[in-house]
Amino acid sequence: MISSIGIIISWACLFNLLILLITKNQFRIQLLVRLNLLINFLLFCILEIALFLNDFSISYVANYSATTTPPVYKFASLWGSLDGSILLWNLILAVYFLIYLKYYKKSEEVVDIKIYTTIIIFFTSYTIFSSSPFAGCIELSSIGCQSSSLLPFQDLVMSSQGRGPNPLLQNHPLMAIHPPILYLGYIGLVLPFVITTSYLYRKDTNRNWIKLAADSTFYPWLFLTAGITLGAAWSYEVLGWGGYWAWDPVENVSFIPWLLATAFLHSSKAQINESTLLNWNYFLGGLMFLSTIFGTFITRSGVLISVHAFSNGNIGIFLLSGLAIFTLFFIYTGSRNVQYFATSKKLDNFFGKSGFFIVNNILLFISALIIFIGTIYPIFYETFYSRQLTIGRTFFDILVGPILLLLLLLMSFSIKLSVANINLSSWFKKNIVTINAALIITITISYIYSLGYLGIVTIFGAVTLTLSGLINILPKVKTRRLSGSYWTGQVAHIGIAVFSIGLILNVTQSYSSEFITTDEGNINFAGNTYVIDKAYEVSREEKDIINLPITSGSKIKNASLNIFKNSSQQAISSPAIFRNIESDTYVTIKFIDNENYKLIFRKNYGILIMWLGLALTTTSVIPKVRKIEK
Amino acid sequence: MKNKYIFFGLLLLVILLPLVYEDDESRYEKWSKNLLCPVCQGETIFDSPSEYADDMRAVLDDQISKGLTDQEIYSYWVTRFGERIITNPQNNNIEIILIPMLVSIIFTIYFLQKVRR
Repeated sequence: MISSIGIIISWACLFNLLILLITKNQFRIQLLVRLNLLINFLLFCILEIALFLNDFSISYVANYSATTTPPVYKFASLWGSLDGSILLWNLILAVYFLIYLKYYKKSEEVVDIKIYTTIIIFFTSYTIFSSSPFAGCIELSSIGCQSSSLLPFQDLVMSSQGRGPNPLLQNHPLMAIHPPILYLGYIGLVLPFVITTSYLYRKDTNRNWIKLAADSTFYPWLFLTAGITLGAAWSYEVLGWGGYWAWDPVENVSFIPWLLATAFLHSSKAQINESTLLNWNYFLGGLMFLSTIFGTFITRSGVLISVHAFSNGNIGIFLLSGLAIFTLFFIYTGSRNVQYFATSKKLDNFFGKSGFFIVNNILLFISALIIFIGTIYPIFYETFYSRQLTIGRTFFDILVGPILLLLLLLMSFSIKLSVANINLSSWFKKNIVTINAALIITITISYIYSLGYLGIVTIFGAVTLTLSGLINILPKVKTRRLSGSYWTGQVAHIGIAVFSIGLILNVTQSYSSEFITTDEGNINFAGNTYVIDKAYEVSREEKDIINLPITSGSKIKNASLNIFKNSSQQAISSPAIFRNIESDTYVTIKFIDNENYKLIFRKNYGILIMWLGLALTTTSVIPKVRKIEK
Repeated sequence: MKNKYIFFGLLLLVILLPLVYEDDESRYEKWSKNLLCPVCQGETIFDSPSEYADDMRAVLDDQISKGLTDQEIYSYWVTRFGERIITNPQNNNIEIILIPMLVSIIFTIYFLQKVRR
């Protein structure tokens, strides 16, 4: 029943979009875009209802949920696998469509509506013709559903129990927040794509397009930042190895749009201020969105193996054809404007704000390029040599690390610039007190932590950046002469500086040891005593948990092993984390053998400092929001 | 002027500072960060808490205490698990580093030529 309703409404959604594609009437456009949002919201709710009613006649529900799944993970199951996540994708596309109409549509032309609608039609068609989250189950497997039908009103079969979500996806509530936030980032990048292509398709080359494109990139950028941060936090809390970033392909392809969007936020300013970089901005404006589709292709088509990858039949060829169509259109539109691009102003002097934006763009773009090559190289290698290859963290550490470090130094140097052209020696004279103070702090910190050159340069960059940021803001806070976007810019950069300090401490200082202990044993680690208590078992519907209470001072935390029923996967180890601003003590159970526990104690430095920095960057948006409300 | 001398003094201090202590990453640590745990979805044996990684670490520890050369350790693991297991393949396939470097340099030169008068 629910399956049929879902399928029919999906068709209605497509039909509505087709009308939207051919309509020219402004009022009807307004209406149909809202209707599209309503239908997509309805589809979202229907699948949620099916999940909560345990309607296992729907293949998706049978395969990715179970009666024993706790409510929050049932809710999150909607985006726990490919077909359902496209439903969320479409809903967010629909939300952004309305936002586009309200805030970014400035003319009566309909090219933009056609471009946007084509994009949504593309993804909606996938859920109708290729793989629907509402497909009814027509053949059972031992548990879950074997094969399904895309047509409504079939004779459906229903298993008594579903397979449940992947254990890793039901072990931490961040699973309910991290993917939607990340999607809000990815999909939001459709706005600058539609704005740049529609303006230039019409050869409307007044300054509006770059301003609108830059404005519309800001919020998706923020969601991307928050989404990636939450993903890192999730990994730290769940995967049990104390890591937060592994240069895994899925992480890489989320980082690429972030780097491009960061580049665009800066390069667009150069165009607004000095009408330079016109063609480059067009290129970036579209590339951000194309790179998210490419990222989805890489991670969802099964060409790469990774922690996050879930693949499904023909999504690969589907996304690749979409990527080809959008890219060709993008290139065609660009080629219509060669004359306009030729009017782009060239720079004589790089020691000015625009010059810095250019260097910043080169560095950010090169990072994206290297990450791109590192991610796809194993595919080429396997094709040509028929051997598998892993490109791991050392590759990225060697190649991307120094570039990011250069960016940090560039930031600390340029954050105080307000004039177009500056003279290096006068800049130096003006800032020497700040630089000296930064050097003293750097030497102190580096001495305490025995940092090498990499650490010293990072700390110096971060401290200089923080000091100059504070010197910029503080006097203005007193006199209350602080514009929203100025404040946002400064705080976002200070956040990155704080993050860098945490990161370098984490990379250089962290260490670990293993201990074998029995009940009520004592463990001395990093100058503290940890008392191990008797382990006890908690049985829940979906899993058994073995908790091992660990006491340090007045704090008691549980390290635990989660053994999921319905799953062949090995037990998932949840850490006990004793937090502290300088470092975390992160304890995981390796295994339990009779009365013996094997425990890993990790001292992870700088974790809270990192989260603090990223949170600062994310909240830097607040003054900008207030500005818009006015 | 006084600030300038302070600056150069501090700069000298910062450059000399790391010479006071030494790099203490052991060969064992380097190698365990370099070997992928084949059963743990993209984690190295340095990171992975799994028992499989444990066994691999024991073998590696043994190899290093016996003083095997890097080449011997490399071929031991690659003949058993394939090239996939090495997470820094650039040591043996230098083009993996050179290609992105070359692409980046070409891009930078091209870009600068385009925006400069």
